[in-house]
Amino acid sequence: MNSIFLLPQAILESAERYPNHDAIRCSSKCLTYQELVTQANSVARVLTAEGVRPGDRVGIYLNKSVEAVTGIYGAMMAGAVYVPLDPFAPVARVRFVIRDCGIRHLVTSEGKAAQLEELFQEETGLQCLIGVAPRETFPTRCIPWNEVQQLAHEPLRVARITEQDLAYILYTSGSTGTPKGIMHTHRSGLSFAQWAVNTYAVCHEDVLSNHAPFHFDLSTFDLYAGAIAGATTVVIPEAVTRLPVSLAKLMESERISIWYSVPFALIQLMEHANLPSRDLSALRWVLFAGEPFPTKHLRAIMNLLPHARFSNLYGPTETNVCTYYHVPPLPPDSDEPIPIGEPCANVEDLVVDAENNPVAPGEVGELLIRGGVVMQGYWGRPDLTERGFYIRTSHGFLKDIFYRTGDLVQLLPDGNYRFLGRKDRQIKTRGYRVELDEIETALLSHPLVHEAAVYPVPDGQGSNLIEAGVILKPDANITPADLVEHVAKRLPPYAVPAKIILTDDFPRTSTGKINRRELQERAAAR
Amino acid sequence: MSTEAILAEYIEKELAKGRKSRIGYDDDLLSEGIIDSLGILQLVAFIEDQFGIHIEDEDVVLENFMSVSALTRYLQSRKPV
Repeated sequence: MNSIFLLPQAILESAERYPNHDAIRCSSKCLTYQELVTQANSVARVLTAEGVRPGDRVGIYLNKSVEAVTGIYGAMMAGAVYVPLDPFAPVARVRFVIRDCGIRHLVTSEGKAAQLEELFQEETGLQCLIGVAPRETFPTRCIPWNEVQQLAHEPLRVARITEQDLAYILYTSGSTGTPKGIMHTHRSGLSFAQWAVNTYAVCHEDVLSNHAPFHFDLSTFDLYAGAIAGATTVVIPEAVTRLPVSLAKLMESERISIWYSVPFALIQLMEHANLPSRDLSALRWVLFAGEPFPTKHLRAIMNLLPHARFSNLYGPTETNVCTYYHVPPLPPDSDEPIPIGEPCANVEDLVVDAENNPVAPGEVGELLIRGGVVMQGYWGRPDLTERGFYIRTSHGFLKDIFYRTGDLVQLLPDGNYRFLGRKDRQIKTRGYRVELDEIETALLSHPLVHEAAVYPVPDGQGSNLIEAGVILKPDANITPADLVEHVAKRLPPYAVPAKIILTDDFPRTSTGKINRRELQERAAAR
Repeated sequence: MSTEAILAEYIEKELAKGRKSRIGYDDDLLSEGIIDSLGILQLVAFIEDQFGIHIEDEDVVLENFMSVSALTRYLQSRKPV
């Protein structure tokens, strides 16, 4: 099991050991490991026949489904790099990503036909769509799923690539106004997944939840830790993730044993899904990541699920996961935030001050991370990659890369790190990471907007809502709803401000800059 | 206004945020990403206020909330409209 060096080898290995065990279940469909390998191989053969070569980017543009998983593995078996596209992002943003990393082949579905038509209203560079029938409005080759499945008898083949080759690119909010692509190799993906299998003792009898969307890095645990262990991963459709009672029923009926999500999803379950009435006895691990879990909510859900253990996983998408903390029983009288924990195996941690000098233990500084889990860089952005990486000599002679997390931390006497905040203007909203500058750029792109300030307002649920203040140009006659519509065409849904307030002036600092802290405090006090 | 029209108008104006300008009564509100988790909470609060009823958490499930039509059927089962 430890001999694999490419992510798709995980399903091939498990298909040898547990051919008839369910690999993926989603809604009413399921695929055994043998079926998943066969279907992924068919996708790989089609992609190769359509001109995909190792290193090419293949887009995954459909709702969560067994087909999406087949597409992901098929792309990697062809030696390609899969790029999951947010199925709910505005089409202009999807088109940006497709062009940014030169996607020519897209795995998609009939359910996306309307968005595809809109996509083709401008040049995309796409040459081939897999999963849809041809239409006049699609200027590409189109290969429906039933044609893909006709290749089920082709011999199994994984392209000859190395662990250093790219496996996937995850696009995330960029502070300059356009998303940036975080590149991961098979090595960095496996480095995390194999650590997770060991740490949480994932075995083939486990049933993993897949709550996160595929463009969100939490999904790599669900897919690859599950596949390495030969476990079953239950892909939860987007619709079900929105409805706590439906979600709790699914956890119960699927007998989920390892849950992984952002804290927001767990808080929703606790508040709306009547957990004590559900049989969740199969649940042995509850893993969470993405943003801090408010201690009072965490304690409450731990009391509701006393038989499960809880673990906090920390790491920017650029490092997969780099520290972890198994949550001990929490004292009833303290709401002290829980730590982000200690470094994972095979990860080196370093805390530095503003001049890159290591700080003394216990002092506050930025967390830097070195190890197999670190990304390859940002796609097509050597400038950003250079800024994100810090090359430092270890052990007196070894020059190696550290990733700058941008997170301020402090080492506690017990060896765990405490998370204290960001160095920059990145925030988390319901687990999604958002650059406030990107939202301001989107607002300022409206011709009638003179100034804009975007700031987070705590939502009382352990996360943030996004609010914006806007000063319009003189005589501009538009409403906040017009501005919401404008930014909704540019930003993913979770980044669209929940509230936009029109104003005549902002509070200013002594140097005349917008005082965003003051705006934020005023909003929180309302 | 019919129940369908009231619901569709609220969803178009307050929840869809320009993602979709016309909501069909059978459009899949959740799988098409028209409504997110926070949108569900807002929609429940709107319905409770508008129709003067209390919606139990147990009723906020896929079968009842997948479309305007499904919601209307659910509301009709709750009280004569």
